[in-house]
Amino acid sequence: MAVWDLSVSVEELGPEAPPLKISVTSDLHIGGVILKTVEKSQIKQDWSDHALWWEQKQQWLLKPSWTLDKCGIHADARLCLTPQHKPLQLVMPSSIVLRMRVCFSSPVFRTIMGICKLLNIRRPEELSLLWPVEEKKKKKDKDVGEEVYDITCAPLPSTGTIPKLANGMPAFFAETPETEVVYKILAVSQPAPAPETIAKLYRTTNIMEKAHINSRWLDSSRSLLQQGVKENDKLILRFKYYTFHDIIPQADVVRLTQLYEQSRWAILLEEIECTEEEMMVFAALQYHIGKVSLTEQSVASCPAMEDLDSALQCLEVKMEGESSADDMLETMTAPELHDYLKIFRPKRLTLKGYKQYWFTFKDTTISYYKSKEESSKEPIQQMNLKGCEVAPDVSVAGQKFCIRLLIPGPEGMNEVYLRCEHEQQYSRWMAACRLASKGKTLADSSFSSEVQSIQSFLAMQKTTPRNNTAQTDESINTHSLVSPRYQKKYKPKQLTPRILEAYQNVAQLSLTDAIQKFLQIWQALPDFGLSYIVVRFKGCRKDEVLGIANNRLIRIDLSVGDVVKTWRYNTMRQWNVNWDIKQVAIEFDGNVNIAFSCVTANCKIVHEYIGGYIFMSTRCREQSDTLNEELFHKLTGGHEAL
Amino acid sequence: MDDIDAMFSDMLQEMDLLTQSLGEEAESAPLPKPPTIPGPQEMNFSVGFTDFNASLHDLEDNDLDALMADLVADISATEEKFATEKDTLKGSAPVAPIPSQPPSNLSFPGSSSTLRQATSSNSIAATPPPPTSKPSKEELEEQIKADKIKLALEKLKEAKVKKLVVKVEIMDGSSKTLMVDERQTVRDVIDNLFEKTHCDCNVDWSVCETNPDLQTERGFEDHENLVEPLSTWTRDTENKVLFHEKKDKYEVFRNPQNFYMWKKDKKSLKDMKEKDKEQLLEENFCGASVIVPDLEGILYLKEDGKKSWKQRYFLLRASGLYYSPKGKTKASRDLVCLVQFDNVNVYYCKEYRIKYKAPTDHCFILKHSQIQKESQYIRYLCCDDEWTMTLWVTGIRIAKYGKQLYDNYKAAVRKAAGSATWASRSIQASSSASTPSPTPKARAANGHAPQPAVETKGSSNQTSFPPPPASMETLPPPPPDPMLPPPPPAPPSTNKVNQFPPPPQFPQSSFPPPPMDDLPPPPPPPPEDSELPPDFLPPPPPIFSSCGGEALPPPPPDPIASLPPPPALQNFASAGGAPPPPPPPPPPPAPAPAASKPAGSVRKVAPPPPKRTTPQLAAPSVG
Repeated sequence: MAVWDLSVSVEELGPEAPPLKISVTSDLHIGGVILKTVEKSQIKQDWSDHALWWEQKQQWLLKPSWTLDKCGIHADARLCLTPQHKPLQLVMPSSIVLRMRVCFSSPVFRTIMGICKLLNIRRPEELSLLWPVEEKKKKKDKDVGEEVYDITCAPLPSTGTIPKLANGMPAFFAETPETEVVYKILAVSQPAPAPETIAKLYRTTNIMEKAHINSRWLDSSRSLLQQGVKENDKLILRFKYYTFHDIIPQADVVRLTQLYEQSRWAILLEEIECTEEEMMVFAALQYHIGKVSLTEQSVASCPAMEDLDSALQCLEVKMEGESSADDMLETMTAPELHDYLKIFRPKRLTLKGYKQYWFTFKDTTISYYKSKEESSKEPIQQMNLKGCEVAPDVSVAGQKFCIRLLIPGPEGMNEVYLRCEHEQQYSRWMAACRLASKGKTLADSSFSSEVQSIQSFLAMQKTTPRNNTAQTDESINTHSLVSPRYQKKYKPKQLTPRILEAYQNVAQLSLTDAIQKFLQIWQALPDFGLSYIVVRFKGCRKDEVLGIANNRLIRIDLSVGDVVKTWRYNTMRQWNVNWDIKQVAIEFDGNVNIAFSCVTANCKIVHEYIGGYIFMSTRCREQSDTLNEELFHKLTGGHEAL
Repeated sequence: MDDIDAMFSDMLQEMDLLTQSLGEEAESAPLPKPPTIPGPQEMNFSVGFTDFNASLHDLEDNDLDALMADLVADISATEEKFATEKDTLKGSAPVAPIPSQPPSNLSFPGSSSTLRQATSSNSIAATPPPPTSKPSKEELEEQIKADKIKLALEKLKEAKVKKLVVKVEIMDGSSKTLMVDERQTVRDVIDNLFEKTHCDCNVDWSVCETNPDLQTERGFEDHENLVEPLSTWTRDTENKVLFHEKKDKYEVFRNPQNFYMWKKDKKSLKDMKEKDKEQLLEENFCGASVIVPDLEGILYLKEDGKKSWKQRYFLLRASGLYYSPKGKTKASRDLVCLVQFDNVNVYYCKEYRIKYKAPTDHCFILKHSQIQKESQYIRYLCCDDEWTMTLWVTGIRIAKYGKQLYDNYKAAVRKAAGSATWASRSIQASSSASTPSPTPKARAANGHAPQPAVETKGSSNQTSFPPPPASMETLPPPPPDPMLPPPPPAPPSTNKVNQFPPPPQFPQSSFPPPPMDDLPPPPPPPPEDSELPPDFLPPPPPIFSSCGGEALPPPPPDPIASLPPPPALQNFASAGGAPPPPPPPPPPPAPAPAASKPAGSVRKVAPPPPKRTTPQLAAPSVG
């Protein structure tokens, strides 16, 4: 058989070095080519991760037993011997940048499985990679300050094995203190960003821009190198499919945290719209999560600790059950509050000011008397606060500490203002009013934490919004909890009481509960889970937007912004892509046929979205935890799958 | 008022019965102790105060005094006595609210008000177990003393449980009076009413409140407490509690497409497949968060304090009811929140065209439940047609209650299915019975009594018995057991009491007439089967199952038992106990429906089980 020269460049020799010429015959297999190349290069190292890349055809030669003939390689081919795993800068949903080695040779879907395995994120099929937005020149200088956490030293993820856990984190992270820090950063939500940072970041302002984001997804059935990703490039890791299957807080610490971070940024950057009221709840939850994660930290991530916790709780309950009669007597006498406070009842045509009385707070009822001495007599009035609305009317600077109560009665709501002398008094009475409005008494265990949270919120008002450099939990700028729209609309001073109002309802949640609540409210937003693509329907002359959700497709009129039509997947018979004319055709029950071409994105992206969601919906029925990679590829692969 | 009097005289009689049966009770194995068991001696029952608050205070003082007196008297009691007392008490659970005073004390002032408030310190909660080892006498006494104090404190807590006597109006204009305690949910009350009214028990039955001042009506949700909203009514209120079917209560779960795909043509949705409906429900109610129907459209809003109604474009979101102000888009950022649902309820309104000059009569309002009269704090809304109103009201309920609503529905369906099988089975049983058939009323009661049995289905030994009543006739009767005493006459009631053949056969053997003759002799129940009866016997009292596997059903009381005890009695007694474990079974209700049969036979059969432990144990292994 004829011997001919094959040129193979070896990455280790440097980019300038001329390619090595090795003499081969057509029946030499790929493994042999690699062997010959390595021998000729005279470099001694571990070559096990290397593979051949065929530049002209943009494809990997991964089957070592195939002959050159079978691969179709002739003398004109330029091959390159290169490692399959290379470092990549990965922007996490929390906008932290990790530098880690990922697989450039396998389909992106599998590469993500490897990344997620290393980072201990379950359900990798929900995530994908996308190109970042082209950054403008002026931002370059800021990039210098961006910290990159390097974990390239991590062992290459081998598929199939379950990562060993040590200290509640994958064994690799527990090895050195530096990597441990990285894991904590991944598993704990980030402190609130400075309001300026939020304002500076790229925001999509309309549906067209949102649609453009979706053109940046990588193809999950082709490798990174095939899609032009180079070593040390920056890619974004995001949750792509908005169906978060089977979240287990104990096992999903990183997943839950990153999911929370993604949703938080989606709200702060107005990627998903919400109303003012909803924004205040989101802000309150962010504040709460930020505060609690400082104290709870990664304790929750350790399963052993969790067990201990529950054991302790059990013990506590037991002890309570065995409490002596004396203890019970004590609990029978409910705690009370009494103080001289001032009261004001705004009524029509009366402009009387605050009047001082002796107030007592018992159970859920406030009573007041002329003076302390008369407190044994009949009170002037009693107010049961159950079901009432409580709002702060506070100005720390002006030393005004008022509680505004709206107490429902048969005739309507009675408006009452209580004025306290100082912060301490205010926070106690305020806490009592809040609990009472929910039907809880002073004896409730949450009373003291309620008092504390009110005090820390008051502290927030004291700090000026300028010194946001030092962000402890006590001094946080409320502007950093809301999107720029509300930063412009309200001053921090106006924002604080509104967030505080929403905070009442979430203050008692644990860290994971708060995160899950945040995700719940996010998922209940009307526009949640919609990915937009600009398309042109067959027979139409104008661009329209196709929204893809986990259970339906919607058609949106660009001029009005209204949903024109909804198609549900469960009525879908089939969908086809004509790759030549780049058209997607879908058939629904009842002979409904639609066809469109994609304007902003490749039709492969649309195809992958639909197939991906169908794949996600099959998961619930499958009991096994193993990921059906083949099915995913079948549903999303397109012509590569054939 | 008559029915209250009747109710109390019934109670009194029943208490007599129970006291008589107590002696026998004490011998039976100890029952698991429910947290609250009323002791007859502590009973103090007062109703009919004109001022509720004052009455509450008075009452509690009285109760306290009585309680302390009891304590002092009891403190020297021995351990044994304490234990027996405990045992005897458990039998008396259902008598809880029976007044020790003569019924004549229970007169009500003749006001139009539907409810009366009452408290009773009638329960012993979680009596500490008596020490097992016998320490020195001092220690013992110390211990007993401590226990007593603890007991007293528990009683004090129990005394605080608020109870209301509620008059519920039924569709046909009649009314029922029942006592509701603050721990009871509306679901409990509905179940209670099912037993009293013998209606068809479908899922649409609901307890509603009406307010004639505001001309509103609202169906309580099944998980809500009834006492709380009712206690905010004013003293001279004309409000009423109704019990009737409301089609819209759970319509969203029967036809979710009409709510979640409301934009589509309703006709095209009519033939939606059940599977697709289920998927819709799954998507919207079973995810991480409940999805609220994306309602939007023009409604009329009554302007604050004015007489005019203005059209606005409203949108429903999980976080509240919003409208888009004039000249703005309906983008989320521009929406104005009219109201959030945390503190308000939604009410249907009647005839607002006349009352408030509303554009149509299809109005609903949102208000705090405490507000009883016209007020600027009420939000008045008006829809073009009735369906739109149903859509919005249901949407708001979903936004407010979320998944709870779906859970309520599922529970209601389970209940309804349970009672349906029951009804058909009991009819079958009674029609095939050769001996005097029960009166229609008793039969109907049989149909409903077992509802609680459905609840107990989760327990291990019941799950093995599929309920289908159809397959009964085919299987052979169980072989007569030679060890058993001669068969007593076989009236239907005996039939019921004796249904303890080996498990696989017994659902079948109970009904057709031929096997019935064989029935009395079949092997008595193995102890672990004692839970079974509620599952297939029509008449046992709902609380029956609470005796768990440990004890056999208490023997029925004396012949006087033939007086039909008011079904409500058991129920509110059971409500008087702490929620999780229902109080132990009241013996009388079991034979009660069999009033027309010779009482003697009933009693002869029931007591044996405790004595026949050995054959019982053998029976299941053979069968």
